[in-house]
Amino acid sequence: MPIEPAAQLLPAVVDLPFRDGYVSSIIYVSLYVSLAAVALSTAFSVPVAILLGLADFPGKQFVKSVINTGMGFPSVVVGLVVLFAVSNQGPLGSLELVFTKEAMIMSQFVLATPPITAISLAAIAGVDEPVRDAAHALGGTRFDVALVVLKEARYGIATAILAGFGRAISEVGSVLIVGGNITSASGISKTRTLTTAIQLEARQGQYETAMVLGAVLVALVLTVNAVVVRFGDRGVKP
Amino acid sequence: MIRATDVSHAYGEDPVFRDLSIDVDTGEVLAVIGPSGVGKTTLLRLLALSFEPDDGTVTVDGTDAWAVDPDERLSLRRRIGMVFQEASLFDAPVERNVEYGLRIRRSWTDRLRHELRSVVSSNGTADAVRDSLDIVGLTDKMDQHAASLSGGEAQRVSFARAVAYDPDVLLLDEPTSDLDPRNTAVIEEAIAAARDRGIGVVVATHDMHQAERIADRVAVLLDDRITEIGPTAEIFDDPDDDRTRKFISGELVY
Repeated sequence: MPIEPAAQLLPAVVDLPFRDGYVSSIIYVSLYVSLAAVALSTAFSVPVAILLGLADFPGKQFVKSVINTGMGFPSVVVGLVVLFAVSNQGPLGSLELVFTKEAMIMSQFVLATPPITAISLAAIAGVDEPVRDAAHALGGTRFDVALVVLKEARYGIATAILAGFGRAISEVGSVLIVGGNITSASGISKTRTLTTAIQLEARQGQYETAMVLGAVLVALVLTVNAVVVRFGDRGVKP
Repeated sequence: MIRATDVSHAYGEDPVFRDLSIDVDTGEVLAVIGPSGVGKTTLLRLLALSFEPDDGTVTVDGTDAWAVDPDERLSLRRRIGMVFQEASLFDAPVERNVEYGLRIRRSWTDRLRHELRSVVSSNGTADAVRDSLDIVGLTDKMDQHAASLSGGEAQRVSFARAVAYDPDVLLLDEPTSDLDPRNTAVIEEAIAAARDRGIGVVVATHDMHQAERIADRVAVLLDDRITEIGPTAEIFDDPDDDRTRKFISGELVY
């Protein structure tokens, strides 16, 4: 008896009110944009965090404050600024990036960079000074010392990258503004992400679709968070 | 081997040393004794070429370390090993820790090849790593993670890490101040073994009995200068300087 209701539920989940490839294309766009943005942001943020963590220069505290402010910066404003930058009259107008994945990557980059930099910096600053001194005293160059610090801070930096990914993948405002939430005529996502699709489907009353997309997004974010927690635990020294 | 001549140094307004001179030769143990906070660590860092003194010279085998270009200074620096009061091991297995000095002395292509090979198989243990762990009696801990060691074992690994690349001079900053008698004895034997290999050893210590046990020569650091330097027996039995005598007899309390 208890098997029957479950069997009836299954087709309801499988028989979804959207065309083939719609959901998978949305997942693809979401992952592509977020992963590309986070990869670029990591390539930028980690060296900056190393520099801020190991070098002393005038204005260092100011740079740190700017990064910390950036963590709480409203994403719609970032979207608006990127939209102005890539619009016809903007400085990047000639690249024709309005409503493209590239523009979305740009705004996600701006959003992911402050948390990745700030959390990496905290991890780097947490590396004991005696360990740095040891690397130097054993004959290490400044570059060798920086490598040691990177290795010591590796779990913290991994946490930072995953946190940046979490911010990027669950972001709505800026990707809606610069991406435009577009699909092709055949219903395949061009710049529609999980988040922007959910808000559109919900507004149109397509609650089942919105909920499936929501479940996928939550599953992705949960997976990322599980990894973050795991890395975070390993980063704590006994 | 390493010689500091008429060195003066200050942190801001506070002078740490004034016209201080000290030298260590290969194959000898020099103990630097003095009360806590007198600047023994700073003196060791000076000899390790970690900073340039405000005045005076530091030479390695006659070469003025702060008159040469950075590349040459790096190669002078790489003839020196150092062990700190805290073991300060890297978050890695013991073998990787001890191998560190050898690794960074390789060329970049060698290092890269080595790292890539370690992904697919073991590179084997360098003889120097095994030998230096043998000196401190920890060859059986080679594969353990540094964080799993006791404080004494960690300090012994730290010692092995500093001798693995066969430096000419080894600088030890209060290497046994946090250790139990057994681990202290192991470190003291390892110091003797390093001297027998021809390494010049400088040990900063506030433990005068230790200085008497292990040192060939003793330098007494009081306030901002070396009040006396000479053979161990001479310094302990018949110091010339009045303050040194008072310090050794315990009358001079800081």
